[in-house]
Amino acid sequence: MVRAGVVGTQLPTSGLDIFGDLRKMNKRQLYYQVLNFAMIVSSALMIWKGLIVLTGSESPIVVVLSGSMEPAFHRGDLLFLTNFREDPIRAGEIVVFKVEGRDIPIVHRVIKVHEKDNGDIKFLTKGDNNEVDDRGLYKEGQNWLEKKDVVGRARGFLPYVGMVTIIMNDYPKFKYALLAVMGAYVLLKRES
Amino acid sequence: MAAAGQGGRSGGGGGGSGAGGGYSSGTGSGRSGLLDKWKIDDKPVKIDKWDGSAVKNSLDDSAKKVLLEKYKYVENFGLIDGRLTICTISCFFAIVALIWDYMHPFPESKPVLALCVISYPLFILSMFVCFPLNRIRTYFVMMGILTIYTSYKEKSIFLVAHRKDPTGMDPDDIWQLSSSLKRFDDQYTLKLTFISGRTKQQREAEFTRSIAKFFDHSGTLVMDAYEPEISRLHDSLATERKIK
Repeated sequence: MVRAGVVGTQLPTSGLDIFGDLRKMNKRQLYYQVLNFAMIVSSALMIWKGLIVLTGSESPIVVVLSGSMEPAFHRGDLLFLTNFREDPIRAGEIVVFKVEGRDIPIVHRVIKVHEKDNGDIKFLTKGDNNEVDDRGLYKEGQNWLEKKDVVGRARGFLPYVGMVTIIMNDYPKFKYALLAVMGAYVLLKRES
Repeated sequence: MAAAGQGGRSGGGGGGSGAGGGYSSGTGSGRSGLLDKWKIDDKPVKIDKWDGSAVKNSLDDSAKKVLLEKYKYVENFGLIDGRLTICTISCFFAIVALIWDYMHPFPESKPVLALCVISYPLFILSMFVCFPLNRIRTYFVMMGILTIYTSYKEKSIFLVAHRKDPTGMDPDDIWQLSSSLKRFDDQYTLKLTFISGRTKQQREAEFTRSIAKFFDHSGTLVMDAYEPEISRLHDSLATERKIK
């Protein structure tokens, strides 16, 4: 009875005890909690990598960040891309490309294409809502884009859904707080 | 009957009347002292009575405690260890995919990525087949119908224990506990399965009670009400054995 009294005064056992579930667990159950967390992260990772393999694009889902493609795409739209080598790039198609030296991909429309017999192409892009073509955005001295700069071609889109990503990028503390809370919930709560 | 109940209470140590008969020694030496403060095994189980999963977990844990401590069965971790290893291996595949893709950027890493992405769910599926926690789900997976629908009525096995045969000659008898508690429902079903080591015959007994019978208004599990039910379940299977 003395021992119970000592435990009672030195640790909070009433009120909010977030470690309550953990304290009742044996080694295997504790390992299972960590494993559960790892499985959730791994599943998300595998789905993403699986999409990469399926579509052939290194970034199969992108968010439109600017209004340069209005009225087709608005800021905050989610785009689904594919990047199959057999698909030809033709004028009028919407492509997502990366300029050398910058890491943010750009979503614009192809307006001019030069194609050789062996399949090599050079193309020029322009945003629908822009006054001029994209040569100002390309690298110094570069006037045309090539196949290797392409991240993918737009195949489908979801409006507004990407705003969540934009908000989380503008307020990184919010993103980390959200991830920390979700991670803590999975680690500390015992599922049935 | 009353004597058995008394024995169970002091053995289980979960009774509300804190006789304080603890197992972990309260010597107060540095490291074991810290462990004592962390572990709350011996204190009466108190949970949020509105949280369905906490209720089910505490009922399952207490049933496990009764079987392991009162009847001195030994828990068999084979099923659980198997699941843990398979899940760990699948996480390995995910890590391999991550590192490989980082070292050899995308187009070159395609075959390795494809391999990892396919093996990850395959391993998890194999876990449901090789280490099933209930028989119905195995059937579905083997038939190729992956039911994501969690059948509330399915009972999952949470304890496999065996009793070593005292003469050492016959193979061990196996006791299995499985339970179910539907979401937002108060009816808790506990099923005890006995598989005789010698005859390989299987016998089952179960009860369904409202959880209100076992918890008081503050959410404390009252072992005095719960433990006799477990014992009765166990004895009903054990006595049949003697008659045969």
